[in-house]
Amino acid sequence: MRVVVTGIGWVTSLGRGRDQVWQALLAGQSGLTPVRSFDAARYPSKLGGEIDTFATDHGADRPGRASQMACAAARDAVADAGLDLASLEPRRVGAGMGTTSGEPREVEQFNDLLVAGKTSEIGAEFLRRYPCHTIVTTLMGELGLRGPNAMIPTACSAGNYAVAFAFDQLRAGRADAMLAGGADAFSRITYTGFARLGAIAPEVCQPFDRHRKGMVPGEAAAVLVLEPLRRALERGASIYAEVAGYGLSCDAHHMTAAHPAGDGGARAMAAALAASELDSDQVSYISAHGTGTPTNDKLETLAVKRVFGERSRRVPISSIKSMLGHTMGAASAIEAAVCALAIRDGVVPPTINYRDPDPECDLDVVPNEARSLSVDVAMNNAYAFGGNNASVVFRRVRA
Amino acid sequence: MSERVVITGIGVVSPLGADPAALHAALCAGTSGLRPSAEPGLSDSMVGSIPDFDAAAYLGDGNLRPLDRTSRLATSAATLALANAGLDTAEESERRGAAGLALGTMFGSVRTIAEFDRRALTAGPSYVSPLDFANSVINAAAGHAAIWHGLRGANATIAGGSSAGAQALGYAYDQLRGGHFDALLAGGAEELSFEALLGFSRLRTLSTQPRPLARDRDGGALGEGAALLVLERAGSAAARNAIVLGEILGHGLGFGPGRDSEIALAMALADAIGEALAAAGLGPEAIDLVSTGASGDPLLDAAEARALGLALGTRSGGVPVMAVKGQLGESLGAAAALQTVALMGAIRHGQIPGFPGADAIDPDLGLSAATSTRPLAARHGLVTALDADGQAAALVVTARRAA
Repeated sequence: MRVVVTGIGWVTSLGRGRDQVWQALLAGQSGLTPVRSFDAARYPSKLGGEIDTFATDHGADRPGRASQMACAAARDAVADAGLDLASLEPRRVGAGMGTTSGEPREVEQFNDLLVAGKTSEIGAEFLRRYPCHTIVTTLMGELGLRGPNAMIPTACSAGNYAVAFAFDQLRAGRADAMLAGGADAFSRITYTGFARLGAIAPEVCQPFDRHRKGMVPGEAAAVLVLEPLRRALERGASIYAEVAGYGLSCDAHHMTAAHPAGDGGARAMAAALAASELDSDQVSYISAHGTGTPTNDKLETLAVKRVFGERSRRVPISSIKSMLGHTMGAASAIEAAVCALAIRDGVVPPTINYRDPDPECDLDVVPNEARSLSVDVAMNNAYAFGGNNASVVFRRVRA
Repeated sequence: MSERVVITGIGVVSPLGADPAALHAALCAGTSGLRPSAEPGLSDSMVGSIPDFDAAAYLGDGNLRPLDRTSRLATSAATLALANAGLDTAEESERRGAAGLALGTMFGSVRTIAEFDRRALTAGPSYVSPLDFANSVINAAAGHAAIWHGLRGANATIAGGSSAGAQALGYAYDQLRGGHFDALLAGGAEELSFEALLGFSRLRTLSTQPRPLARDRDGGALGEGAALLVLERAGSAAARNAIVLGEILGHGLGFGPGRDSEIALAMALADAIGEALAAAGLGPEAIDLVSTGASGDPLLDAAEARALGLALGTRSGGVPVMAVKGQLGESLGAAAALQTVALMGAIRHGQIPGFPGADAIDPDLGLSAATSTRPLAARHGLVTALDADGQAAALVVTARRAA
């Protein structure tokens, strides 16, 4: 069974709405600003990719922030797909969502009370909001879905894992439509951790640049609607792209450092191509994991070279993390949407802030300006803590 | 997507021991793994803890410092499962290296995350440990287990509260049937923590004397542990002459909205059971016993019983049920994997364990439970798992009977 992308919704630091964000990414705009949601005075870097406000239906009995963002993105994705959920059997529609940290702000509130000696004020809402699976259960409940569901917290490759899960549910014939994506909320915990690792860029996020100094934590949610090709055609849906296949691997090397030879990343890409029955020669564009840390970008380059060989320097590869920062579990879901849009529109977004080429990242990183390009096949790379690698391949649907 | 998925190894670390046969014997003997909590200010809670858990006993002299408790539980269970499957040898290193892992959990380690944040709050952001941050991600335990054992296949973590362990087993089943890998470790791990215990106490779902499915049930007790199964494609297992301990015949997922709605939760689980049976190509009459997730929680136990009625029809009144959480506690992400190990033990040894509460089953639930441990010749078992937030999963499992 062939599976296609028919809807995209996202809530990001560059706004909300499919076109608003897509146009901003193509224009090379940055959503990164000094951190606003907590006092970052004690941190060496102060950049973050935060969302000011987004429309939410939730009142006092609210779920956590990532859940709220996920619901907003899911509603937008369903609307974008023109999918009338009421016309579908609820048991045949499900969701797979990814995250890195789930709802860390709920632990922060727990700790604020605990440290202030107000333990008695910690209430039942902590456990109703904190567990990361509430992202998918809130989304399922709000949209009235009853089908296959999974919360997949595989850190920064989680969005791709979620797309792969949804793809499998459709291919197994368990669903008529699936939502797939990722969500992570900006948090003191995540920011503190990356700061302590010395991984946050002080002033600018510049993936693949010789002087790149790090990543920038961000927040976002992104959701895609996936459907069997036949159903999408039957209902006259607008189709972005086909999900061709995926590859999953683990470095089994180190919790936070990638394999020094790019082994796991290369195996995920190769497995994704094999599952898609495609050769590396057929890939038109790579959406990089491209965090902007010195190590990631160097090792991703190595991994790309292992898979693409002599052609590696001629395959455009760009990192939108230069604009949105690293939105953790949402990142590869956003980048999956970017692959789908690139295929539909024949244009790929740039890697911004690129000034000096790095001999260790000698790829075509689509520097600073979007490029018109007929994209038949796009590869979406995601790597994560735990040595988790996931690549998903998208391709144009030919009539 | 048609090849059978067999079980060739079991690894378990539980309040009732770290050996499937010992766990079965303890359950049958009516031994309780519950004891008073050691968490400050929460000593009036009973918990299924493993106070003498020593990861070095399973993991040897390696550097255990980077592993928090959840990671140690998961990695230890992985050691036992790989050894049980005969995949721990040098000759099998290539096969082991190609294997994946699917780990169910609720929190990962909420203790690690919370302690990391508290240190930043009280001492300042420069005083936190980078090691602790690496462990703050929810997939840390899966990452550590993969590093420790060199598992280079898929590395999935599935979060789904009490249903996560069954979801992870189903996820692994799909990966194998999809032809992505020859073998995966799958199951769940969860540690007890101050944060979880405080959280559940605020939900007022805890009891000091959990009596699953009983008329007078008034809550569950939290537990901890890990259980991992080695799942293999049948052809691959046969090619290496692996001993087949059992088989996963089918699995299903469901969802019901509204954590306080018995009927919505029941329908979610009934959907999951129906799908698992359909995938296994079996009808309700083929199910010989059910390893339920009943914990003593008034609402969830009722929902689970009602789900069995919905999905199994008249069979639900006659099929024997197990409820290991009465003795192990509610170990959340590990729970359904432990239920699976217990179910396999019951089939293997031809004996179904009784449980606290079985002597006074709530007549409204329409279930049949052995009032005490008794012999049972069973072939097909059902594992049911339901989380309060609405996620449900079911597995149809067989096990090889002991000679």
